[in-house]
Amino acid sequence: MQPLGYSTGALARADFRKALEMLKDQPVTAIELSAIRKHELIPLLRSLDDLRLARFDYVSIHAPSEFSSEEELWIFRELYESRHRGWPIIVHPDTLHDYSLWATLGDLLCIENMDKRKPAGRTVQELSTLFEVFPRASFCFDIGHARQVDTSMVEAYRMLKVFAKRLRQVHVSEVSTQNKHATLSFVSILDYQEVAHLIPHTVPVIIESIVSEDQVGPEIIRVRKALAVS
Amino acid sequence: MGELLSPTLELSQRLGQRWVNIETARSLARETRDQLTDVFVDIDSDDTSIVVLDSLGREEFTTGSDIDWTLLVDGISDPNHHALSIIIGDMINAWASKPVGREGTFGTLVSSHDLIHKIGGEEDTNRNLTRRLLLLLESTRVGRPFALDRVTKNILKRYLLEDQSFWRGTGGYGHHIPHFLLNDFARFWRTMAVDFAFKLRERSGKGWAIRNIKLRMSRKLLYVAGLLACFRCHLDFVPHHPHPEELFRNEEFRPAVVDFLSSIFSPPPLDIVASFLLEYPGPDGTASKLFGAYDKFLGMLSDSQTRDHLDGLPEGAGESDTVYQQARDISHHFRDALLDLFFDTKTELGQLTRLYGVF
Repeated sequence: MQPLGYSTGALARADFRKALEMLKDQPVTAIELSAIRKHELIPLLRSLDDLRLARFDYVSIHAPSEFSSEEELWIFRELYESRHRGWPIIVHPDTLHDYSLWATLGDLLCIENMDKRKPAGRTVQELSTLFEVFPRASFCFDIGHARQVDTSMVEAYRMLKVFAKRLRQVHVSEVSTQNKHATLSFVSILDYQEVAHLIPHTVPVIIESIVSEDQVGPEIIRVRKALAVS
Repeated sequence: MGELLSPTLELSQRLGQRWVNIETARSLARETRDQLTDVFVDIDSDDTSIVVLDSLGREEFTTGSDIDWTLLVDGISDPNHHALSIIIGDMINAWASKPVGREGTFGTLVSSHDLIHKIGGEEDTNRNLTRRLLLLLESTRVGRPFALDRVTKNILKRYLLEDQSFWRGTGGYGHHIPHFLLNDFARFWRTMAVDFAFKLRERSGKGWAIRNIKLRMSRKLLYVAGLLACFRCHLDFVPHHPHPEELFRNEEFRPAVVDFLSSIFSPPPLDIVASFLLEYPGPDGTASKLFGAYDKFLGMLSDSQTRDHLDGLPEGAGESDTVYQQARDISHHFRDALLDLFFDTKTELGQLTRLYGVF
């Protein structure tokens, strides 16, 4: 069964405990612990040993999506301390300043493709440059970002072909023109189905759609339909 | 030239020839585009592309060329896009030797919706057809690429994915030719030819000679590039694919076809023709004749005296005018080279042309 779950940030922003609670009766086996805002990082990392994560086959951590070069070292060090857990650390490539630091994470460094606002990591070409710098890094394929950059889904197709060996996890949501992570629609489901066959059934799928509690289950159903998740 | 070897340059080197006018026009086009990119920095967005077409898009830019452009919008509509299009127009007019054509096809903002959704039918106007196919055949952008790339691929997606015979293969021959797209290229070529007659009447013959020569050369080149691109789907994509037998039975390969054809259309039309000739040389001397003629044509256009002469030539004066007759001779060499290439019965291109290029 393909690991499928949510980002805690999509469910309850900084309140990862509440997010885990929201998922307790849902058929999910994957979780992404989100520290998308930098002030969320320490509370999350200090709580890891107390969280009940045994039910999840797959866990990842999402690094903060914005920090200065002065803040980079402590953020990196904190994340580096979690490496013994073997959980991928999802990063937005435009946030990284000192590449030599992050390269030490090896394949735990998981680079996500970006939405169209960002100056890097949006296309195969831009990602290729990054993977030259981080040859061991893995790839977090954000299908919503890829669709926002190219609605024909050709860029998504190319990413999945070119970076197939690096593919570590998938982010799924519908990314609006205002860069909001919304629930999947009829059209985005059709678009995602066009490339779903290129996502192996062993690769974990993390839902990033911002949903209310009553929509947690229905969104799982929509994602299963879009990506043919078993 | 300090650049990656373009197919046209590679072809010229292979043939041991130099097409100076093509090189000069290409160099001027790139220089102009780079300068425009600097001018427009920070005024476009990822939902809009400033698209240039015509001679600048084809990289056949000469000092007398105008600059056809559109502000392509593929995203949220904003009333201020109008203000942006005015600014772009003012900036481009300061660069161009003359204003854009009076038909209103270019020099304005264009939404992606009609280009993608209105293919064929009553609502596919002459203007929409022109905008759509020129976007595929001779467009490039100054500034951010995303909107143009998206729209181009989505147009191709419609032509390719809705074409049943393309996926099924032509009965008896097993050819996978994108008929929907090929037929639209044919329609566009004939439309340009009919519009020549229309403009002749509408403008009381003014500018007929230069338009006539352009029709015989640069407009015809667009059709040639379109045809070759369609035929390459069959000639190149299928045999080079690791699973050719499965390709057209499996929906999973659909983005691959769009990606392939999109890469074919990415370079300017002369390069589309040159890359074809590098792969499939055709009868001896064809490439030299074809590119030699085109080089002379660009040489005439880049000479302001010749260009002005053709532009001002009165209707009916062509038969006795040596400049026009020289241009006409060049167009005949170009035509003959194309006939040699497309109707060589010994090649697969000849067979494809016979089967799909006429009827």
